[in-house]
Amino acid sequence: MKDDLELIKRLQNQDTKALSKVYDLYSGALYGVILRMCKNEPLAQELLQETFMKIWQKATTYNSDKGKFFTWSYRIARNITLNSLRKKENLIQNEDLSVYKDRSSSEEKIDTKGIVGSLQKLEPHHQKALELVYFNGLTHREAHEEMDVPLGTFKSYIKQALKKLRESYKEELVIVWIIIEMMR
Amino acid sequence: MMDRNTIKNTGILEQYLLGELSEKESTDVENILKEDDELREYFSKMEDDMEQIALENAISPPTHLKTAIFNNIEKDTTHSDEKVIPLEKTKRKSYNFAIAASLATLFLLSSGWLYNQWKETEQTIVNLQQETDNLRTKLVNIEGDLKETNDWYRAINKPDVVQLVLKGNEKSPNSAAVAYVNHQNKEVILNPQGLSKLKNNNTYQMWADVEGEMIDMGVISSDVEMIKMKYIENAESLNITIEPAGGNDHPTVEQLISNVIL
Repeated sequence: MKDDLELIKRLQNQDTKALSKVYDLYSGALYGVILRMCKNEPLAQELLQETFMKIWQKATTYNSDKGKFFTWSYRIARNITLNSLRKKENLIQNEDLSVYKDRSSSEEKIDTKGIVGSLQKLEPHHQKALELVYFNGLTHREAHEEMDVPLGTFKSYIKQALKKLRESYKEELVIVWIIIEMMR
Repeated sequence: MMDRNTIKNTGILEQYLLGELSEKESTDVENILKEDDELREYFSKMEDDMEQIALENAISPPTHLKTAIFNNIEKDTTHSDEKVIPLEKTKRKSYNFAIAASLATLFLLSSGWLYNQWKETEQTIVNLQQETDNLRTKLVNIEGDLKETNDWYRAINKPDVVQLVLKGNEKSPNSAAVAYVNHQNKEVILNPQGLSKLKNNNTYQMWADVEGEMIDMGVISSDVEMIKMKYIENAESLNITIEPAGGNDHPTVEQLISNVIL
């Protein structure tokens, strides 16, 4: 999974075609993150839009030496979503209860969109830990409280979860390799 | 400063990846990563995994969203353009446009004019061609006529030629024909134009009288200016009769309209 540096260069030079390509590559992944964080489709659409506007405007500040392009985009999406949720929470605290009720009902509906792929193969507490920080946008501090485990334990959950993920990817690679070998 | 193991163990890289760290902490981690190839490799794998999770759990946003985003960006770009580009430049741009537009108009007009000119010229050429053809045909006709006239003229305008006028008798008082006889060349040429018009089924025929016998000199076509007749030796007189169309073997003497003694 190497970044297409040429594509990113074009994006930084404000090439809308490059943005279109980036959108095709990452909009689904980012939308998945945003939607799981805010659990509200109209809002998630708005936030995805905001995210790509920011990716477009701030593209020149991305530095490939510091990390992958997706990591950078993910952080933007996450920050935008968290900011919006914080604002909304303030609103909910100040406004009447009906808004809060609406939100909780839509929350349940969205929750059925479960996690798929390699994450599913992890043990439940590892899966939950990664989900909380990655898809729910909780900080480590918030997440360990949510899971009701000490912060250190929570951190080791994340570490182990990632390690297991890496191993499962390797397994998949081996299976793919065996299939390719058999096809020869 | 944190060392490699501390960083690995504290889970700070994960937090850095997720964007949880403060700006200062982030800068610290970035500096360490810059120096430490192994740690950077470790972090890069973590990034790969995270990206993989996100891609696996991707949810396609509705398609109209992309259009909306690009519309916004377009608006944004044109908007910022308006802000950044100084007024002069836009003015020049519009001048350039105006110049280009006027040049284009000029070109269009001149093209139209040239096209018209060309079409007119083409029409003129066609007309001239037709006229030339007409003139050529006329000229050929005139030349033919002239040659014919010249031939007749040469044939009759000789000292040896005797000119005889055949006047119509009481049967055809208005008729008159002129015969030119050349004994030297043994030629007889007749100008029949003075003969009265006949009905369709009749024709004039010319005869030579040789010792009391009438010998055929030929049928006289009525529509020609001059006609060559047969020359008969020892003819004593020339006679014209009216005969059925196509001519007769023997003259119908009752229908004799004119005769002249040689």
